[in-house]
Amino acid sequence: MKKSALLGIIVIAVAIGVIVSTYADSSTYGNFTDAQKSDAELHVVGKLDLNKAIVYNPIQDANYFSFYVKDNQGKECKVVFNGTKPQDFEKSEQIVLVGKMVEGEFQASKILMKCPSKYNKDQVEVKTATSVQS
Amino acid sequence: MDTVFLGESLLPGKLGQFFVVLSFGTALLSTISYYFATNKDRPDDSWKKIARVAFSLNFLAVIGIGASLFYIIYNHLFEYHYAWAHSSKSLPVYYIISSFWEGQEGSFWLWTFWQSVLGLVLVFRAKIWESPVMTVVMLSQTFLASMLLGVEILGLRVGSSPFILLREAMQAPIFSRPDYLSLIDDGNGLNPLLQNYWMVIHPPTLFMGFAAMIVPFAFGIAGLWEKKYTEWVKAALPWALFAVMVLGAGIIMGSFWAYEALNFGGFWAWDPVENASLIPWLTLIAAVHVMLAFKNSGQAYFTSLFLVLISFILVLYASFLTRSGILGESSVHSFTDLGMFWQLFAYIAGFIVLALAMIIARWKALPFSKKEEETYSREFWLFVGSVMLTLACLQVLATTSIPVFNKIFGTEIAPPTQVVQHYNKWQLPFALVIAFISGFSQFLKYKKTEPKKFYQQLIKSLIIAAVFTAFAGYLTGIYSNPMFMLLTLTSLFSIVANADILFEAIKGKWKLAGSALAHIGFGFLLIGALVAAATSKVVSVNSSGIGFGDEFAKSNNPRENIILYLNEPVKMDPYTVTYLGDSTSGPNTYYRVNYQVIDEKSGKVKESFDLYPNAQQNAKMRQIIASPDTRHYALKDIYTHVSSVPLKEEEKHEAHEGHSDEEDFGKPKVYQIALGDTIQIRDAVIVVKSVNRDAKVQNIPLKKGDVAVSLGLEIKDERKTYSAEPVFLIKGGNTYDFGKSVDDLGLKLRFTNILPQQNKLELTVFQKPKAEKKWIVMKAIMFPYINLFWGGAILMTIGFLLSIFRRNKELKTA
Repeated sequence: MKKSALLGIIVIAVAIGVIVSTYADSSTYGNFTDAQKSDAELHVVGKLDLNKAIVYNPIQDANYFSFYVKDNQGKECKVVFNGTKPQDFEKSEQIVLVGKMVEGEFQASKILMKCPSKYNKDQVEVKTATSVQS
Repeated sequence: MDTVFLGESLLPGKLGQFFVVLSFGTALLSTISYYFATNKDRPDDSWKKIARVAFSLNFLAVIGIGASLFYIIYNHLFEYHYAWAHSSKSLPVYYIISSFWEGQEGSFWLWTFWQSVLGLVLVFRAKIWESPVMTVVMLSQTFLASMLLGVEILGLRVGSSPFILLREAMQAPIFSRPDYLSLIDDGNGLNPLLQNYWMVIHPPTLFMGFAAMIVPFAFGIAGLWEKKYTEWVKAALPWALFAVMVLGAGIIMGSFWAYEALNFGGFWAWDPVENASLIPWLTLIAAVHVMLAFKNSGQAYFTSLFLVLISFILVLYASFLTRSGILGESSVHSFTDLGMFWQLFAYIAGFIVLALAMIIARWKALPFSKKEEETYSREFWLFVGSVMLTLACLQVLATTSIPVFNKIFGTEIAPPTQVVQHYNKWQLPFALVIAFISGFSQFLKYKKTEPKKFYQQLIKSLIIAAVFTAFAGYLTGIYSNPMFMLLTLTSLFSIVANADILFEAIKGKWKLAGSALAHIGFGFLLIGALVAAATSKVVSVNSSGIGFGDEFAKSNNPRENIILYLNEPVKMDPYTVTYLGDSTSGPNTYYRVNYQVIDEKSGKVKESFDLYPNAQQNAKMRQIIASPDTRHYALKDIYTHVSSVPLKEEEKHEAHEGHSDEEDFGKPKVYQIALGDTIQIRDAVIVVKSVNRDAKVQNIPLKKGDVAVSLGLEIKDERKTYSAEPVFLIKGGNTYDFGKSVDDLGLKLRFTNILPQQNKLELTVFQKPKAEKKWIVMKAIMFPYINLFWGGAILMTIGFLLSIFRRNKELKTA
């Protein structure tokens, strides 16, 4: 066999491997109901419930952070994360959680937040409060 | 609107906008003129003359845009949205420079600026290549200029101008007031994470790299266009090396910035934005290798052409990924979406069509090589190595593009949950193979090599590398992982093999030095990255698992954050770490954290240093933005960042010392004591050492009949002994007392009464509740041998620089 043909076969094999692995390793977006059914880690998109307790008490435990999230179907679940509370957490518009359900609690291994960044917010800060008239 | 607004300075914006339009117009004119200059110029070269004039005007216009924008930001003209959104009055000048390119518009400007500078070099140096190459460069310049236009054409918004006024960009009631500007005190300021000296230099370098990628692409197109199928390779080679060098340096600077200023705890996270800049770098470095193969053997022509062309298209794809908003939540640091999705798409599509059309038009004339490469030839392995680089690139591209696939196919696939592992699983074997090839192909000659001699050299280098590998494996402790050992072996092999060439170079064959040095740098970079990432260790493992249940702790990762109370040392192997206080400078609060290595036997402090991780507090937003501080050693780094701190406004409450600060303390405890008594309080013991019956109180002269008594108290906690002497005073029939504080322990001691009947003294002890002692939550990571990574990158850059000199010289002599 010619070397170039051999090389070509290797290239195609690796390329297929790459694509299969990308697909195999990829996760899915789901909700808490899906998470309950599955043992694998998945992505859950939802919103933070500000009316329920957001617990981060470093004096008691610096690596425990819990809060409640409502997923896109409206189902609410307690989420625990072993780490510190991310910056700007309460401001998040949308939260993407990566993790799985363990005994009724969603254990997040990663929290991604979509924030209306301070640096892009469309709000003008005015010098004195008295002069704002709408 | 007829309102006349007060205090606005409109001239710089109008001037800026004029330059924006001028830059677009001149770029377009220059493109067209260069096109005709290439295809059918008049005998007097008039098209070329027009093109050059247009190019010069374009250059001036680009400078004009930059100057206007800088003037606006520098003078805090907050009537302009860009200045308001990206800067503030308190920014020092060097950060005003970084706020310049924080936004998309500024970074587009940076790109056009570099493209102009490179264009200038081409006009002077490209000689016969000038017209066709500049046609392509100016076409790209036209696209870029359109990104800044900010005008509406047929209801479509084209580009986003940096000169738009705040009142035009936003809707708010205050903008109906003529004096609205007097109400706007300050701009939004620069993102604190970007307030780092690397952010001043990293973006210009990266964009210079991106801009430089157009030049090899333009040469590739020019070669097809002018039917100079083979000549372009030689001319493009120094440019390709230049682009690879600058982009590589830019990527490493970004990595260093992430390591120094961000708190994700590492130097590379396979973030989509990082990947976006790596992808074109990988294809262009592959292109450089096959271009060399082609230049020396006539093989791999099409691969060279393809890789050169695809590299620039991938640059455009990278900017599409980071700027179109398509990455969405999958990346932390892409730009905000400016609604230019289709415009960016058109930019890529335009260049893909151009490249494809040229290839198809000239397909039959392309000099494909008929014969196969010899196995024992350098060109064959250069080719194989390039294929490996391209495959590595393909893997990064495939996973990074998941959001794009989702958009195209309407699917909802999420990126891998274990991103880093996913990439490493692939990239480690690729790196291994590439390192091995980069070593042994140095022993091969172009065309044909004597196998016997080749194997002799190969085996010699392999044996030396194996010895070093065994040593390195033992030293770093990675020997238990065969893949890690194999990568170390091949990287060291590449270093040894290339060092061999470098010695030859020093003996006189200087022109070999560049590639040898670059490969040695690459080898070190791989080992550094591998060892630092594989053996990095969280120092701040929290062993005190009190709190929220062991079930939780068991099923999760080790507890990587630890709480430190002020002046309470905590042992984190091998360090004893103490939080010693904080200081504020500008918007930053610096937390002083002391690290000590204490010899267990003698108790002597062998080593002691302070780190100052900082956090910007924004009490109003109730958030902190933390940046790490790192202790650099030759062989390791100790990296520390705070993960949580008490917010400042709460602390202030505690800090206003004055008349009655006792409300900060817990409920006081009253003790009746006598000389020699011991009182047990929380965490400490108080011993009454002495009672001094003629105590003196500063500034209060004692008259006859006045009584001043003090208590000599000794307070011992686990580590230290403190003393305090509170005073009780009877003066003119009234009683006073002067309490003493022991701040380290959160104690206040008051001698409040004398009880003669019981022959006792009354001591009132105020102790702060433990929670209110100052604390920080921090994380510390040790990165061993990370300097190999940075050092390797520097060597590689120097190697590229030497190669550019060599290839440029070849161009002149030929």
